[in-house]
Amino acid sequence: MPFVILFVHAAAAIAAVVTANRSRVTAVVAAALAPATAAVWGFTALLDPDTARAASFTWVEGLQLGFDFELSPIAALLTFAIGVIGTLIVIYAHGYFGTPEPTLGRFLATLTIFGGSMLGLVWADSVWTLFLFWEATSVTSFLLVGHKHAGSGARTAARRALMITGAGGLILLAGMMVLIDATGTHLLSEMEAVTGTTATVAAVLLVVAAATKSALVPFHVWLPGAMAAPTPVSAYLHSATMVKAGVVLVAIVSPILGGTDAFTYLAVGLGAATMFWGAIGALRQRDAKLILAWGTVSQLGFLVLLFGVGSAKATFAGVAVLAAHAVFKAGLFMIVGEVDIRTGTRDITELGGLHRSMPVAAVVATLCGLSMAGVPPLVGFPAKEAAVEAALGLAGTERLIISAAVIAGSVLTVAYTAHFLLGVFGPNTAGPNAANVDTPVRPRRMAMTAPAALLATASVLGWLFDGTASKPITRAAAALNPKADVYELINWPGATTAFFVSAGIVAVGAALGVARSRMLLDVPRTIGANAADGLLDETLVIARRITARGQHGSLPVYVVTMAFVIAAASLIFVRPAVDSVGELPLADSPGQLALAIATVLAAWGCTRVDSRIGAALALGVVGLAVTGLFVVQGAPDLVLTQLLVETVIVVGFVIGLGRLRRSFPVTGARWQQIRALVAGLCAAGVAAALIAAEGAASSATAPPTERLVTEAVEEGGGNNIVNVILTDVRALDTLGEIVVLAVAALGVIALGRPALMTAKTPISPPTREEVRA
Amino acid sequence: MSLALVFAIAGLVGFGVHLITARSLSRIVLGFALLGHAAVLALLASGGPAGDPPLADRATSAEMANPLPQALALTAIVISFGLTLFLLALARRQHELTGDDLVEDDLEDRAVSALADAEAAETP
Repeated sequence: MPFVILFVHAAAAIAAVVTANRSRVTAVVAAALAPATAAVWGFTALLDPDTARAASFTWVEGLQLGFDFELSPIAALLTFAIGVIGTLIVIYAHGYFGTPEPTLGRFLATLTIFGGSMLGLVWADSVWTLFLFWEATSVTSFLLVGHKHAGSGARTAARRALMITGAGGLILLAGMMVLIDATGTHLLSEMEAVTGTTATVAAVLLVVAAATKSALVPFHVWLPGAMAAPTPVSAYLHSATMVKAGVVLVAIVSPILGGTDAFTYLAVGLGAATMFWGAIGALRQRDAKLILAWGTVSQLGFLVLLFGVGSAKATFAGVAVLAAHAVFKAGLFMIVGEVDIRTGTRDITELGGLHRSMPVAAVVATLCGLSMAGVPPLVGFPAKEAAVEAALGLAGTERLIISAAVIAGSVLTVAYTAHFLLGVFGPNTAGPNAANVDTPVRPRRMAMTAPAALLATASVLGWLFDGTASKPITRAAAALNPKADVYELINWPGATTAFFVSAGIVAVGAALGVARSRMLLDVPRTIGANAADGLLDETLVIARRITARGQHGSLPVYVVTMAFVIAAASLIFVRPAVDSVGELPLADSPGQLALAIATVLAAWGCTRVDSRIGAALALGVVGLAVTGLFVVQGAPDLVLTQLLVETVIVVGFVIGLGRLRRSFPVTGARWQQIRALVAGLCAAGVAAALIAAEGAASSATAPPTERLVTEAVEEGGGNNIVNVILTDVRALDTLGEIVVLAVAALGVIALGRPALMTAKTPISPPTREEVRA
Repeated sequence: MSLALVFAIAGLVGFGVHLITARSLSRIVLGFALLGHAAVLALLASGGPAGDPPLADRATSAEMANPLPQALALTAIVISFGLTLFLLALARRQHELTGDDLVEDDLEDRAVSALADAEAAETP
């Protein structure tokens, strides 16, 4: 089934591109169908959790190459969320983009492929599959963020996102390799909990990789920039998908690496820091979309913190907040997009009185916002409540630190929620035109309002039917931490400590938010993002300088550089070569020694002779001497071939170079000649060392001559063993060799023809008069 | 394998590389031809000591030279032959077009280099 769904995504992407310009509705339906199939499959998995759902395709057995998918409980939950939200996003995008929109096909196709990649990521059981789809989401999200590529802002933001998440992908790969080393398997479902140095290294790498994807401090700078994307992208990427990939990674490796201190400290530390910094960032913004973006950063920190703590209750709370966040954040982004489209601005200092002019949006946003703040009657409340209980349920110093972080972070969350809701929908109290004038709005688009309203309704229903909603969450949490199967969402806990703490959080946060919304702060400068961009630019400049030094266009310098690099890399062979030289005989026969000396002398002659024909003759002498070596070695076939080849080459030299000046042009200063000499010496040394080292290795084993002889005679039906090998054993290689010769011959013919193309006057067919004459 | 063969191979590679660092295309052809010889000899040398020709009806397998590297070396000879002739044709064409057979610097690479230098001059 996973393969079918991925195939549906690919097909839908193609269909969307093909049909978008002719029939917009067809393209939208095609693009919506793909996530809908995923949603249905995810839903059946939630209804029937006991059936194992896995699929794999093995390409190369021993290399673990292939795809391995398994629908774990948390993957089932996410599949459902990704599918449902994905479908709603496509419908929303239909309303968001005006008509006509020439880029809609490309947009829908990229969005669909992104959705498919995200599904592959959450289903992945093999770490290689996980890595593949992780990278696929990085690349497709780059395309989505840079969708409006005509603007330089979008391009910069897309590049920043790609560089940070792409670097994270490499770190992930490294982490996964260390993890395989530590656990001994590449299947996540078969990994046991590990500790020790290897596990610590894996934990650090994997948490950092998750931090880049999930925009944790200090890698968060790409996420606010990604708001340059069209709002449907933001609503999809920053609710159920993309940024959740990092959280999911932390969640699925938490049972494996949770025992290492590095994992806990790093995840909790980064999580807490991100939670604060994101919330503070949200409070400083005036752009409604950026408030949500920074709020998302904060929520991601909260999630990683919960999974990092790793207790049963915290894991349960993490899964609950993960699900609740997907629902309310998608709804909130959708509302921001609607406000943007209908008023033409997202700056809260310019918005006023929208609660009168956009009542439906106001109600939807309030519901989603209250879910984010953790206020009943919305599903965010029991999720947040579980988190507070988890923090209070710890012991000792851990209890103090985690509780403080969760409570303070939650207060700030309530504060920026209030800041957002009052800023967008409340009266305009802080802006330069704070005259309480209502912003004019355009008519409502149903395709935009309806998906957001559905998500808000889902948040309410999740609170009302807390028992039903908590089943898949409990199951997913129990898969990560078996002790978590006793917990469930409770919509009205009564007078518990956690309840009073929650009430206090909401009260303080709301007061803070109201106070903030009455202040007019300067738009914060994007220091972090600028630093990241500056680093990138500087890297590119350095890269260009290195290219200019290393690749300056001179062929001789390239050859010399390569010779030196190979010489340096071959230094390790010097030692075994020196050892083996003592074992080798001086020569197999006196003739071999004489011919070897003749070969080298003739080769030296090639370099010394100034006349071209002389050099060609010297080459002929080298060829003859080498032929002699073949005779001594006992290779008659080589002798015949070499003689033939040598004759043709000498003829070729005469024909090819006959018209050139007699002697070689004198080029190069003295230092260049010395450079070439040194390169030649290095190359000679390397060759000697490699061959001698190889000689020591090969003389240890006797060649399988006897078997070759019997098989050549009996199966090949020939006495000349070399010929049998060429025609029977290496028949395909020999065919390739003939093809190479044919291609070379064609090239020679083409190059050797009279230079028609270079004639100064264009050659025209002869005129009638000329033909008659 | 013997020291004599190692000496021959090393000499051929050394002079071959020396020749291909030249600017003249016909010298580069010579260099490639020498490197081709070296490759063939290296294949042969790695197969073991010299022996009788590998003909099943005229020698016993104990006294025979290893036939396997010979089969590989035949391919190497033919390919380096094709390469040499092609390079010769190129040299001839170069002569027809420019009057000489010198390999000039790559203009595109020079342009990239100049760009980076200009950039370096701009940023103090």
